[in-house]
Amino acid sequence: MLVATDAAAPRFYPDDPIWTDDDRAFDASGVGTIEDSNGYDFVANTFSNPGERRDVRAPNVNTVDELPDSSWFTNRIGRRPMSVADVVRGPDQRDGVDMAGWVVSGGKSSGVQPGFRMTDSSGQTYQIEVDPSSNPEMASGAEMIGTALYHAIGYSVVEVYLTELDPKTLVIADTAMMRDPLNGKRRRVRPRDLELVFERAARQPNGRYRVLVSRFASGRPIGNFRYYGTRPDDPNDVVAHEHRRELRGARVFGAWLNHDDSRGVNSLDMLEAAGGRSWVKHYMFDFGSILGSGTVFAQRHRAGNEYIFEQRPGWLTLATLGFYIRPWMRIDYPDMPPSVGRIEAEVFDPQQWRPEYPNPAFDNMRSDDAFWAARIVSRFTDEMIRGVVAKAQYSDPKATEYLGDVMIKRRDKVVKAFINVVSPVVDAGLDADGTLRFANAAVDARAATPPAGYTLQWFAFDNATDTRRDVGDPVQVTSPEGRAPAELLTGSDFIGVRVSAAHPDHPGWSSPASFTFRRAATGWDLVGVER
Amino acid sequence: MARRNAVIRVLLVAFCLLSSGKWSGAQTNTPPTRADALHAERAAKAQALAPHHPNALESGLNFFEDRAVFILDREGFYPKLGSITVGSGFAYGLGFRDRDLLNNYGAVDMWVAGSTRGYFAAEGRVRFPELAHKRLLVEGWAGRRDYAGEYFYGLGTDSQRADQSDYGLRTTVFGGSAGVRPFSKLIVGGSLEYLHPSVGRGNDDSVPDVEDAFGEAEAPGVSQRADFLRTHGYVELDYRQPRYPRQGGFVRADVSHYEDRTTGSYTFNRYDFDVRQFVGFFAGRRVLGLRGFVSTTDEREGGVVPFYGMPTLGGNDTLRGFRMYRFRGPHALLLQAEYRWEIWSGLDGALFYDAGKTPLERSDLNFDGLERDYGFGFRFNTDNGIIFRADAGFGSRDGPHLYLVWGGVF
Repeated sequence: MLVATDAAAPRFYPDDPIWTDDDRAFDASGVGTIEDSNGYDFVANTFSNPGERRDVRAPNVNTVDELPDSSWFTNRIGRRPMSVADVVRGPDQRDGVDMAGWVVSGGKSSGVQPGFRMTDSSGQTYQIEVDPSSNPEMASGAEMIGTALYHAIGYSVVEVYLTELDPKTLVIADTAMMRDPLNGKRRRVRPRDLELVFERAARQPNGRYRVLVSRFASGRPIGNFRYYGTRPDDPNDVVAHEHRRELRGARVFGAWLNHDDSRGVNSLDMLEAAGGRSWVKHYMFDFGSILGSGTVFAQRHRAGNEYIFEQRPGWLTLATLGFYIRPWMRIDYPDMPPSVGRIEAEVFDPQQWRPEYPNPAFDNMRSDDAFWAARIVSRFTDEMIRGVVAKAQYSDPKATEYLGDVMIKRRDKVVKAFINVVSPVVDAGLDADGTLRFANAAVDARAATPPAGYTLQWFAFDNATDTRRDVGDPVQVTSPEGRAPAELLTGSDFIGVRVSAAHPDHPGWSSPASFTFRRAATGWDLVGVER
Repeated sequence: MARRNAVIRVLLVAFCLLSSGKWSGAQTNTPPTRADALHAERAAKAQALAPHHPNALESGLNFFEDRAVFILDREGFYPKLGSITVGSGFAYGLGFRDRDLLNNYGAVDMWVAGSTRGYFAAEGRVRFPELAHKRLLVEGWAGRRDYAGEYFYGLGTDSQRADQSDYGLRTTVFGGSAGVRPFSKLIVGGSLEYLHPSVGRGNDDSVPDVEDAFGEAEAPGVSQRADFLRTHGYVELDYRQPRYPRQGGFVRADVSHYEDRTTGSYTFNRYDFDVRQFVGFFAGRRVLGLRGFVSTTDEREGGVVPFYGMPTLGGNDTLRGFRMYRFRGPHALLLQAEYRWEIWSGLDGALFYDAGKTPLERSDLNFDGLERDYGFGFRFNTDNGIIFRADAGFGSRDGPHLYLVWGGVF
């Protein structure tokens, strides 16, 4: 990781690249709760520009421009092959839930989706949520899809399951408390409270209700994380959130899945403890407003296309008395089952996509962050996507088919948009005899045609002084391989190559990707990547 | 042997310290590994932890969402804020409500308030809006309304602004209603209400009182007071989507019989018909709203319609280029068109056109001789309605008017 050290620190440490960041090292039991209100989150991010806007490489990436595992992110599909079954399963530790013996243990503390809490016989708590009557299966389906995909991407998410519920069988625990929506005071849960939930819910023809069951994460909830700054009371939180790779790159995932609700209030921080020490684990949370779902209604036309408050289009509209028509107002959405909500892929432009209001980490996303995220998206095959959509169990096959088609098209657009913004050369390896081999992530993802060739510039690297010395002239190769100059193989402990390419459609390829290798017992290890 | 073992132990301890990852930046400038460097950074922060201190904006908005909303919208005693009736000015007072009556099936609300224009009102109301699986609505109410400064300009289309007078209308009322919803968008109902009105002097000293400016012929009911028993039936179809509509419509028909229980001179019927249609385009971000309203009365049993029971036009929700209640007559016709365009989420601009008349004869309910105005406005809104609006009306024979209103128009 790029940690600020004094001038004598080497560029590469002996343990680079690290693949685990031990951000549980220090006890964080003293952290307080930070629970932002919707109003504050909106006002602060829309009008006060929180966090730092700076074009700086994400400090929490390792030296090969990848993310180490941490309390924020666990490499999954980005690092190792995953089967369709693995992707579909997501975080689930069980095949389903059996609600026999469960009791209603409380009201729902936040969010717009109606629901309540239940506890099973072992004391595990779950959140139960229903779909709006106008759009059956919509929000719960979106949650199932979002949870599985964000888990495969690498974020921590809670387990979610679908099941059916007969309200007549619900038992309210004597200790079940809730916050009265009329006066904000805590009181006991009453049967009428549950009736009011189900009055607004989509009822199935068999008289039961489809519900989303979310298993509470382990630990103690301490609110949400913000997309800027750090927790001042968490000793392990040392990288400003607006510069974290996994939060910047979340813009790409958000564009793919239309997660316009990507904001701090839809995240979850849990204080976990073991061995006498506590640490904060960070979750992505609440996927009821992704794809075509706006949780309690179909996604609005504006969602993903414009911030709630965006100056230029507003002033233009005012000045022209409404004759200026925002482009998203012209989008013609196909007639689809209500479980789909409102989403399309034809007009979708990943570069123009945005969440409900500005997100400091998204604003700081650089090309290398976007490239990292796009590579992850490219690993989701059509079968994986359709498998995840099938997990949402839409009763109308038209909804399943359409959502799968839309997600595949959006995936392709997102990958093409962001994987070509920098040199897509990846997986560079150097044999002991100096043979270099590498891959082209954009070509492999079918997001670009192969270039006519690549340009290689070899260099020697002095780790102590962090200086490079080019060796020889640039070499043109027509395939993704080359050979290091013989004198380079014997002279230095660190050598490297800059690889660039020319592609008429992708000017970003001309900016070279730089690969640095360290001499090892059996050859050369990749130790540094820069884009 | 013992000395060699001691040296070995020292070397082992040193090796363990260096490789344990517990290296501290205080011991040397350059950490030996990346993991050590990260550890050092966290160790430094661990020495300088601080609690999270919300700033003023955060504290304020958190307080508003967690507490203040419940102060304004609280159960039990609550601040009554807003207007009492159209033209009353801003009113403030105290209320008490219980929306959890009979296990959330009913609600009771009692309040008393006074306004900046000297209006006063007190009301108690019990509602059961969703009985019988939401098919039945039952309501009862009692109240006292003291409208201190209503305006009267004479009857019919030829009334003049210069003839402005005022009056006070004080009414005690109690009644009950019931409605049936055959399906969610349609309600059919009726009510029975007893009214005890009293016309007196108004509180605007800059204009004459109505009883000084007009006689019984020009303002029926000004010289005698009467109690009324009002029987009323209505049908309402509301298919607006959403409540601050971007499409859909609203149709309502009311028939009322006012029986004079005191003098027998003022028994009359009144018929109101209100149609609104909204056409949305460009994702509902542009809306054309159209409204047609007709009200007509007829005397019964040889009586006349008292002037305070006649329909009126003029003001922030009818003819917006005119003052409140500028036109009054036994019959009324109102046509309104409004084009709304979304500027930002929650703020719409509007262009409007109003036309209407209050003829003395039902046969004059036509499109001839309509009073007209046009204007523009802004609406701060949610899906549930307009919270606040500003409307500037022009083009009327009474000059421009500006209205700032908490609430919608149509």
